[in-house]
Amino acid sequence: MEKNFIIAGFGGQGVLLAGEVLANAFMLAGKHVTWYPSYGAEMRGGTVNCEVVMSDEEVSEVNKSDADFVIALNQASFDKFLSKIKKGGWMIANSTLAREIKTRTDINYLFAPITKLAEDVGNIKMANILALGLLVKASRLVNLETLNQALDTVIPPHRKNLLPLNIKALKIGYEYDLLTV
Amino acid sequence: MTTECLTNKKVLTKGNYAIAQAAILAGCQCYFGYPITPQSEIGEFMSGKMQELKRGYVSAESELAAINMTIGAVSTGVKAMTSSSSCAVALMQEGLSYATADELPVVLISVMRGGPGLGNIYPSQGDYFQATKGGGNGDYHLIVLAPSTVQECVDLTYKAFYLAQKYRNPAVLLADGLLGQMMEPVEFYDYPYPEIDTSSWALTGAKGREARIIRSYAPLADNQCVFLEKLYQKYKVIEENEVEWEEINTDDADIILVSFGSTSRNAKTAMKQLREKGIKAGLFRPVTLYPFPNKRLHELAQKTKKFVTVEVNMGQMVNDVRLAVNGACPVELVNKGVGAPPSAAEIVSKIEELL
Repeated sequence: MEKNFIIAGFGGQGVLLAGEVLANAFMLAGKHVTWYPSYGAEMRGGTVNCEVVMSDEEVSEVNKSDADFVIALNQASFDKFLSKIKKGGWMIANSTLAREIKTRTDINYLFAPITKLAEDVGNIKMANILALGLLVKASRLVNLETLNQALDTVIPPHRKNLLPLNIKALKIGYEYDLLTV
Repeated sequence: MTTECLTNKKVLTKGNYAIAQAAILAGCQCYFGYPITPQSEIGEFMSGKMQELKRGYVSAESELAAINMTIGAVSTGVKAMTSSSSCAVALMQEGLSYATADELPVVLISVMRGGPGLGNIYPSQGDYFQATKGGGNGDYHLIVLAPSTVQECVDLTYKAFYLAQKYRNPAVLLADGLLGQMMEPVEFYDYPYPEIDTSSWALTGAKGREARIIRSYAPLADNQCVFLEKLYQKYKVIEENEVEWEEINTDDADIILVSFGSTSRNAKTAMKQLREKGIKAGLFRPVTLYPFPNKRLHELAQKTKKFVTVEVNMGQMVNDVRLAVNGACPVELVNKGVGAPPSAAEIVSKIEELL
């Protein structure tokens, strides 16, 4: 089995870091994994994305033509990657910054006010990790505990004070659809 | 970014960091460099780690300075390296030519980006010619190793240091922007090669022995002929002993895809997809670009019906494949000028057009 994920948003929203956490989680779960960023004339406020490919075997290819899961943290990312999602795949979108319009009927949508939820957690910068919680729930490809471990791996020693908040954001994201029921 | 080396345990790390860490584990004593995307993380990592280990780190004032500082360092018998990318590796060509003539084990990490000229910072394989044919003057070869995964960035960095010292010839690790920026799980391990004794030639101070001189100047024409013969004897030994490649499903293949570096990953998947469609495809991946696996390609050319090289450039390695095949069967090109490699599906559809 091979699945790929695109995480996209504004520069500064932490999409590369979210991808790094996800990739670490897959590695810790014993999977093969490749992470690579879009890079170029990116800057804070511009759009940026990264792709994570997870596989039970050697990762087959990079620069894939479609994706199983897309996390879009802003409207531009939603518009850019909607058409790239595989039939039956998932669009996980930040409804604080993207309109809830379902133009495609052959994919699953998960709209959540990710930025607002992050503010409620206490730090808007947690939006990226909160979105991973949503992804874990939707994808069922890695568990929350492994993600927590991955956060611990990625967060450097001098930033460890932020670990509890990150774990909380992850949990809020993971439990989001339960909250709305 | 994850940069810690936890021995015998996998860590998720970027290609650039993997290369830098491997160089340190290989025993690189001195690093000289000038930053350029997409390989700046190498210098960044070295700037911290080398000082921590009390080894040499110099942020050079230019690439010209960096390559010549590396020449100076390796002439004392220690392992040393520089790293750069495309338009800045162009500035090092004079130094590389000198290092071959001086028979010095310079290690260069070349992380390719778009060209010609300033080009852009996207991945590319446009410096295949630059690395294998060279832009310096005179008759020479650089040993060129092409990794295709982050783990191979580690493995082949070790090998670059070893081969450079073993043959007293510059060695190039030819990566690209995609590999440099990509993160994958890697395992670091102890430098697996024997240490080479440099005491017979290194400039270590002439105390208790006769003075030595390392230079490439040969005022008498005959002497230069003798030197070139000797140099090319060495290249013959390298060509006989150090060729490395990977080969999958080539035994019964009607069509063999030839691809190196990060692009070969997508070519491998394209090969599998062609097989699923009933087309007997195989994959041939040169790991050493010099020495090039001519002999094996020539053998395969007697059995297969067609070669297709897959490259992110306007068609460079295809020329070497054609020379190796020597007209035994057609050699076609599937390419993209610059950027991330074409997807497997794109490669498959282009190959179907060729059939």
